Amino acid sequence: MFDLLPDRVPWFIVGPGLGLLIVGMFMLANQPLGASGAYVQTSGLLRRRDGVAVWRVWYFVGMALGGLLVTSVLRSGWEVRPGYDSMNAVFPLWAVVPMVFAGATLLGYGAAVAGGCTSGHGICGTAQRSPASVAVTATFMATAIATTFVLRVLTGGAL
Amino acid sequence: MNPTVNPAMNPAVNLNSKMNMNVIGLLFGIGFGGFLAAGNLHEYDTIHSMLRLDDLYVYFMMASAIGVSAPLLWLLDRRRINTPFGGELALSRSKPEAKHFKGGAMFGLGWAIAGTCPAPALVMLSSGAWLSLVAIPGIFLGLHLRERQQMNALGGTGHAGDGEHRELQPTGSC
Repeated sequence: MFDLLPDRVPWFIVGPGLGLLIVGMFMLANQPLGASGAYVQTSGLLRRRDGVAVWRVWYFVGMALGGLLVTSVLRSGWEVRPGYDSMNAVFPLWAVVPMVFAGATLLGYGAAVAGGCTSGHGICGTAQRSPASVAVTATFMATAIATTFVLRVLTGGAL
Repeated sequence: MNPTVNPAMNPAVNLNSKMNMNVIGLLFGIGFGGFLAAGNLHEYDTIHSMLRLDDLYVYFMMASAIGVSAPLLWLLDRRRINTPFGGELALSRSKPEAKHFKGGAMFGLGWAIAGTCPAPALVMLSSGAWLSLVAIPGIFLGLHLRERQQMNALGGTGHAGDGEHRELQPTGSC
């Protein structure tokens, strides 16, 4: 709408900004800001389970709202689109949909096994100097880079 | 809020702190989602080019997030600060176990294929990219499958993990 933000805000603003939010949540409530936890609580609320941390559901909603604020209000050119541009350039849509679904299911399952994801372990956990979080982060980084390399070879360098 | 009042002893204060915590959750979510969108982390292409090692932006971003928060948390932990909604600050430092390596490897494999993770997928949705409607249910399904597996292992009575690497504090479970 207003086109106030550049296409990509520099990492030295985005990174420290996220870091300060994490510190802020520890200062206010002694809680890590993990996204997979927000999914678990949201799914618990939808299934009317007991003991749901409702504030994490609000956090879940907030993440989407924050994304909307930046992509539609602070930037111009919001539109409905498929996303996954470089994957769609290589594969037809009928192949992209099951790939995205299978990958997302696998990462959800893995996050539940590991007890956290890129935000919970990758940033909050490593910032607490938790050896388990460092192990998870190193493992998923190495696996993801290796997987991407294999995909690149399998597609003849196209992906 | 008066720190000498124990919220658990006073239902009015407890309700008030629950509402405050929900507002805080919403605001921190808006901030977190906003920063992810500002860095284009909701785009498959950003994650993919990072994992192809073509663009180091995300590595610098993550390193600077940790670089800012780790020393501050260390300082706050040393001063044993009292938080208004979660008692005394207690950082968790678990030892690595097999589940961390197994879970990390599965997460990394899925992350590389789907090119998104739980928080950026929500921003992808609000940015108008409809393939997020494929990714988000997938993440829910994966988390749910593991949860159900754990519940079955515990005979259906246990409360499965909460997606974080520690138990929720009582004051956080509002």
